[in-house]
Amino acid sequence: MNPILQVENLKKVYSDGTVALNNINFEVHPGEFIVVIGPSGAGKSTLLRCINRLVEPTSGDVVFKGKKINKIGARQVKQVRREIGMVFQNFNLIDRLSVVNNVLHGRLGYTGTIKGALGLFSKKDIAEAEEILERVGLSKQKYKRADELSGGQMQRVGISRALAQRPRLILADEPIASLDPASSKIIMDHIFTICKEDKITAIVNLHQVDVAMKYATRIIGIKSGEVIFDGQPSHLTKNIIDEIYSNAKQPLVNAQ
Amino acid sequence: MNMIQELKKRKRLQILLLFFFVTGLTIWSAIGTNFSFYEVFSGFGLISNFVFLDLLPPDIAASGTLLEAILETLYMGFVGMVVGALIALVLSFLAASTTTPHPVVQVIVRAFTSIMRNIPGLIWALILVASYGIGVTVGTLSLILGSVGFLTRVFADTLEEIDTGKIEALHATGSSYFQILAQGVFPQFFPGFIAWSLYNLELNIRASTIIGMVGGGGIGFAIQKGIKLFQYKEVSMAIVLVLILILSTEFLTSKIRERII
Amino acid sequence: MSRDGNVYPLNAQESDNEIAIKPKKDLFTRGVFAFGAVFFLFCLYQLNIDYSNLLAGTVDFITMLGEMFPPDVSEWKYVIPAAIESLQVAILGTVIAVVISLVLAFLAAENLAPNNLVASIVKGFATLMRVIPTIIWALIFIVAVGLGPLPGVLAIAVHSLGMLIKVFAQSVEEMDDGKIEALRASGANWIQIIAQGVIPTVVTALLSWTILRLEIDIGESTILGLVGAGGIGWELTRAMRSYDFNAAFFIAMVIFVMIFSVEMLSNRLKLKV
Repeated sequence: MNPILQVENLKKVYSDGTVALNNINFEVHPGEFIVVIGPSGAGKSTLLRCINRLVEPTSGDVVFKGKKINKIGARQVKQVRREIGMVFQNFNLIDRLSVVNNVLHGRLGYTGTIKGALGLFSKKDIAEAEEILERVGLSKQKYKRADELSGGQMQRVGISRALAQRPRLILADEPIASLDPASSKIIMDHIFTICKEDKITAIVNLHQVDVAMKYATRIIGIKSGEVIFDGQPSHLTKNIIDEIYSNAKQPLVNAQ
Repeated sequence: MNMIQELKKRKRLQILLLFFFVTGLTIWSAIGTNFSFYEVFSGFGLISNFVFLDLLPPDIAASGTLLEAILETLYMGFVGMVVGALIALVLSFLAASTTTPHPVVQVIVRAFTSIMRNIPGLIWALILVASYGIGVTVGTLSLILGSVGFLTRVFADTLEEIDTGKIEALHATGSSYFQILAQGVFPQFFPGFIAWSLYNLELNIRASTIIGMVGGGGIGFAIQKGIKLFQYKEVSMAIVLVLILILSTEFLTSKIRERII
Repeated sequence: MSRDGNVYPLNAQESDNEIAIKPKKDLFTRGVFAFGAVFFLFCLYQLNIDYSNLLAGTVDFITMLGEMFPPDVSEWKYVIPAAIESLQVAILGTVIAVVISLVLAFLAAENLAPNNLVASIVKGFATLMRVIPTIIWALIFIVAVGLGPLPGVLAIAVHSLGMLIKVFAQSVEEMDDGKIEALRASGANWIQIIAQGVIPTVVTALLSWTILRLEIDIGESTILGLVGAGGIGWELTRAMRSYDFNAAFFIAMVIFVMIFSVEMLSNRLKLKV
């Protein structure tokens, strides 16, 4: 099977000189559920954002479905982004809009500029958004304002928005870092089952190793911007975990 | 321990310096303006004579003609707010660092609106009267200028405070620039837009009560005329109407603010 | 809760008797907007603006702006002292207002006032002072003490006093009641409570309101001259009345620079506080 995503010699240096990523290489095959682990500040968030070009890589290639996407123009970037859903630590919902409206934002890339700006989504899109909400158990909340929901519910809306894009790949950046343990489990279960049922490939950033071990089909360990482990969860030994989290350049304030 | 004491000492010194600076500034101002408590207190008798004999009681019979003037004041303030808010809405998107199409545009719009904002409405009216002649046109235009200046700044500040993570999330779905403005930026901006516009209405009503003094129409014109003709009881009736208008505007805007936001 | 490994049921926490009700569209907001639009048209109709005059006036205005160049700086010997006088009027007026309001605000704050009657009386006076515009106060004081900067100082002091009592009292009312209670429990008297408990808590808020008020007052002091209460406004009125546009432009520039630099300065101070 051809890989859905290839990352080759990826490097990111921020304008202040911080080397966030250095010489990152890996391939992702359809159906994989990859968890990226590593201490905060290791470069996990930057890695995900280089894949959908929310952050511009300094050098190296990102190849999505056989096509280099790090050199393409703004219009094509938007088309690629439509196929890549993203879930955020802080949910990033638009508070004052309804739940279903937030889910429909996943369809903006497929909707004409004016219609999308005015929020005139097609009946089909609305029906589909409602279906997705039913799937994550939020059909009763669909008309509520996003800021009336609990954290766990907000994240389920975040997942629904990504799903509305009908993505081939989902990127989840610390999806459970702002949630309590019970909601965290619900969210991870949702991401896992939906990706399995819909055959969506997923790359999930996490900092909890135990959660990673439970869901991942493959784990990538990152430390100071470099990959130091890439393999099956069963091969992730205690020594390697210690290696990943030891001497980490732990910033005093949790950098986001 | 030593460092803490040192810091405390420095802080105390700073406060002392500030205190002397303010006192010095005050004394300098008092000398410059020939301020004397003697004159203030000897003026008390005159003021109370003036207030109780000349101003009070308000001439209720005059309220008919004054009502027209106070309504004109309200109309000018409201039109100034609506037109000002619409213009400022467009300008603020150009003036906010988060939404501006180009930094040069941002600097130009900010400079332009800063001139509008930093010249008081009454002075705009004084300048505009020379071109437009006495009347409500001058009053309305100077209120629009002031509103555009004020609202562009506060709208732009509101836009700059918007949560960029939410905008990033919409970028990630492949949305276009205008879709992100309308679906991501505007809903976050809306409460600020309403609150500041309503506050601007309050400012405009205040400003339009006095803009008439230099020929901008409305109740200010009536007050000025009353003073020139020594019709002080009419003046105090006008002041009562100003009071009612300002207080009821404040009441209404605060109710609307509570409900919408 | 589900057992480990079993990923369903996922939506256990929602109760089933809750139904999604499509909310009524926000009628209030729509109503306000609809009313606003209608009222706007009504206002335009009532104002009865002469649009041909608007056009002709704009042409005149642009011509006048052209004529204003270059600014005539020859009168600077009168203009600069007048600008300084405006500044002094604003500073003195604000200082007087701050000092008096510091006392009265504590009487107006409901959580500190000796009794509610005192609080309402002080608040009522404050409303009266703040609602009447500065320039009308100036007109009243001119009748009493004559022309010059003095009525300007008094007008600014009275109007600012009204606003400062209101906002200072609000800042005090917003503070945590527990702190006052704790001091009261320790046997502190009214003055001690204010000095030791209230002032340290609200001092930052008071400072930023004072700075804001000074900023407003400097703007106000530039216009007081229009009615003869001293300062640079008088110079501008004179220049405009004698159609000396070049001098007027210079004076307007000075006013702009004054207010603009105060805005810059207060932005700096706000960042520090």
